[in-house]
Amino acid sequence: MSQTPHMGRREFVQLVTGFVGAVMGAVIGLPAIGYLISPATKRRQSEAWIPLGPLENYPVGVPTLFNFTRSKVNGWEKTVNSYGVFVVRHPDDSVTVLSNVCTHLACRVNWVPENQWFLCPCHDAQFGLDGQVLGGPPPRPLDSYTQDAVKIEDGNLFIFFKEA
Amino acid sequence: MNAEQKQQYKEKYANAKQHGVKFWPDIIYKDLLISFAIFILLVGLATFLGVASEPKADPSDSSYIPRPEWYFLFLFKFLAIYGQIPWLGKIEWLAATVVPAVGVLALFLVPFIDRSPFRHFSKRGAALAFMTVLVVTMVGLTLIANVPTTELSALQFISGLVLPALGMAAALLIPLFIKKDTNRALAWMTGVTSALILGLAVAVLVLSPPAAAAEEAQVAATLPEQILAGQDLYSVHCVECHGAEGEGGEIKGVEGLEGVILDPINARDVMYTFTDETLYNIIAYGQPDLGMTPFGLAYGGTLGPGEMENMVTFMRYTWDDRAELPAEVTAASAMPTLAESETPSYEVHIQPIIKRYCISCHREGKTNNNYIMDTYENVINGGDNAPNLIAGDLTCNTIRMLNREDLGDIGSAMPPTKALKAELVDVWVRWVLAGMPETAEDAAAAPSIAP
Amino acid sequence: MSTWQKLLNWFDERLGLTTIYSTVLDRKVPKVNWWFTLGSASMILFLLQGVTGVMLTVYYVPSPDHAYDSINYIMNEVAFGWLIRGIHHWGASLMVLVVFAHMLRTFYFGAFKYPRELTWITGVFLLLCTVGMGFTGYLLPWNQRAFWATTVGTSIAGAVPFVGEFINEVLRGGTDLSALTLARFFSVHIWWLPAAIIALIGVHMYMIIRLGISSVPTKED
Repeated sequence: MSQTPHMGRREFVQLVTGFVGAVMGAVIGLPAIGYLISPATKRRQSEAWIPLGPLENYPVGVPTLFNFTRSKVNGWEKTVNSYGVFVVRHPDDSVTVLSNVCTHLACRVNWVPENQWFLCPCHDAQFGLDGQVLGGPPPRPLDSYTQDAVKIEDGNLFIFFKEA
Repeated sequence: MNAEQKQQYKEKYANAKQHGVKFWPDIIYKDLLISFAIFILLVGLATFLGVASEPKADPSDSSYIPRPEWYFLFLFKFLAIYGQIPWLGKIEWLAATVVPAVGVLALFLVPFIDRSPFRHFSKRGAALAFMTVLVVTMVGLTLIANVPTTELSALQFISGLVLPALGMAAALLIPLFIKKDTNRALAWMTGVTSALILGLAVAVLVLSPPAAAAEEAQVAATLPEQILAGQDLYSVHCVECHGAEGEGGEIKGVEGLEGVILDPINARDVMYTFTDETLYNIIAYGQPDLGMTPFGLAYGGTLGPGEMENMVTFMRYTWDDRAELPAEVTAASAMPTLAESETPSYEVHIQPIIKRYCISCHREGKTNNNYIMDTYENVINGGDNAPNLIAGDLTCNTIRMLNREDLGDIGSAMPPTKALKAELVDVWVRWVLAGMPETAEDAAAAPSIAP
Repeated sequence: MSTWQKLLNWFDERLGLTTIYSTVLDRKVPKVNWWFTLGSASMILFLLQGVTGVMLTVYYVPSPDHAYDSINYIMNEVAFGWLIRGIHHWGASLMVLVVFAHMLRTFYFGAFKYPRELTWITGVFLLLCTVGMGFTGYLLPWNQRAFWATTVGTSIAGAVPFVGEFINEVLRGGTDLSALTLARFFSVHIWWLPAAIIALIGVHMYMIIRLGISSVPTKED
């Protein structure tokens, strides 16, 4: 029975079924993957010079928190996100600007003057004045703004904020 | 069907099966090809026709003419034509509920209405004729659904109501009265009725004056499009009081608000504290106590929600320093720049300046010396004090006013609140010196003028 | 016995695959023409609508504040969103057309007669459900066309004597079109009607397999 022409026809239909199914699956399935992962593949870049106010406002040697906000579009909704940086002014009026986001699990760190370190409230990570890890789980020092991302114009401090 | 007929059918069917084919692969094969064709068709439609964009729902816009989905159009039109019947037409629930309900019920009961044991079309003339007239009527009604019932109403009435009623009645009556050649009579009746219904429908479609092509509302879809659309609206509706950059200041030349001092609306105080909704509401309702008129349709203005949302989006992205203006917008909304030796033209250089800085006061519906800056001719020779601009003459009114000269009755320095930037005034000067070319080609042909 | 066959046997013992194959696929049916493909075409369209519809719910938000923007987002920002929505949009129209044509085929061929009366009745339910899907789905984009068409469409119910106003308010979830209307239309569109359609297709198919597809009527029928 397996050599009758009927079986040939059956195999032919099987082939066509497979082909049509594969085409339909591909035409729907492949775009579907792109469709589902789409928000993760598209990011609006955000960058701007953020004014942090006059340099004199920042005491020498003491990290001072500065908060600023940026608005962002997620999908079709605008949200205003808040960001914090610690500004450390050095005696020669150069500055170190550190992000206040712990490099471990993104909690916000606080400056503890008694211990002269940044302490993360989540897992007790400690960072030094220049951001290096003193103890705890963080994999790397606090993110800092490089020298070309910091500028002082007419006594006012600016940082170049960039979010990819 | 009695027991014997049932038995007979079962035998015949078993026989047909015997001589038939296997479901797999024979039937499946055909199904597969059709399904695939449908799939290709759908992907084609989605790719090449797409889905038309529509403005956002606006409950305050009562001028919108509702249209149901196409497969409800026949019912929609039936209701409209039914309403034309004198006396009976006033009893709307008959057509709106009883007729559809009876229709659906009849559809359910088809196996119990058409009870003859016969299946072949030659023995079911009446049923087929009835259904055909019904379906043709639905097609006919769908065809003329967009023609107002007041146009050629007699033809519509005949095509949509009279002929179908006659046809369906005939389908039921012919078998009772014509015993010989019943099928032939039914076929003729169905053919003629269908041809008449469709013919009249097409005639109505062709003869009725074409409805004014509904203006395809351009819907701003992407963020940059929305911002630019909002900017254009802002330029028209807001600039006369709030200034081209939202800077505010003393209002000049606006009836009823002369001399009022406005706070800037582009400042952080406003942008950080007013939510989008607040801004939207202010545009929509205005602040009548402070002199700002409503702009939203809902409060007697002219703008729909989509338009006002675009304006808010424009304000937010342009003035709120926490948000970044997309690069496309910066490029598209910049005033066209003029190269060292380039000659400006009306279309490329002057019009965008007018659109941004002048149109708010000098447009239809505003009095300002009847000077309406909508076309090339009107810009040069419109209004009470024409000519406003004279080729090669830098002492003409417009140029003097742009240079902050107060010409008394003719007009004050323009724009009233804040001078145009020097480079924009320079564009006007060079344009006048070059003989005010209208198009870019004219400008290329004109002698170049050194700045 | 190859490993492949062993695996197949293992599943067959538990699922009865060969029984399904012999009753569903490997059965004799009368020779029929191309008009008989409309039923399976309806089902393919329903499946396509189901798949694309489920995909659309990934981004669509059924609230007056977000519905329009989320669809705008699907159409312009999401990769292939235009394709998914395009298929769903056109598929809806095509499905109404194909289901209706399927109904006409059944009528003209007398296929609703003994013993398939109940198949016809479930079919009419399926037709109504399809139209209901069209009606509820039409509102979801929350654009001008959707809003006003639904305003008028639900008002028709208001013409029913005595209880019309009440039915109208039940349909809309209040006197006006609002978030409540959108939410209940959405619910009906993605849960109630699809569930009903799936159940009805199940019964419809069961009867088709049990009774066999009708044959093309001959002169003697």
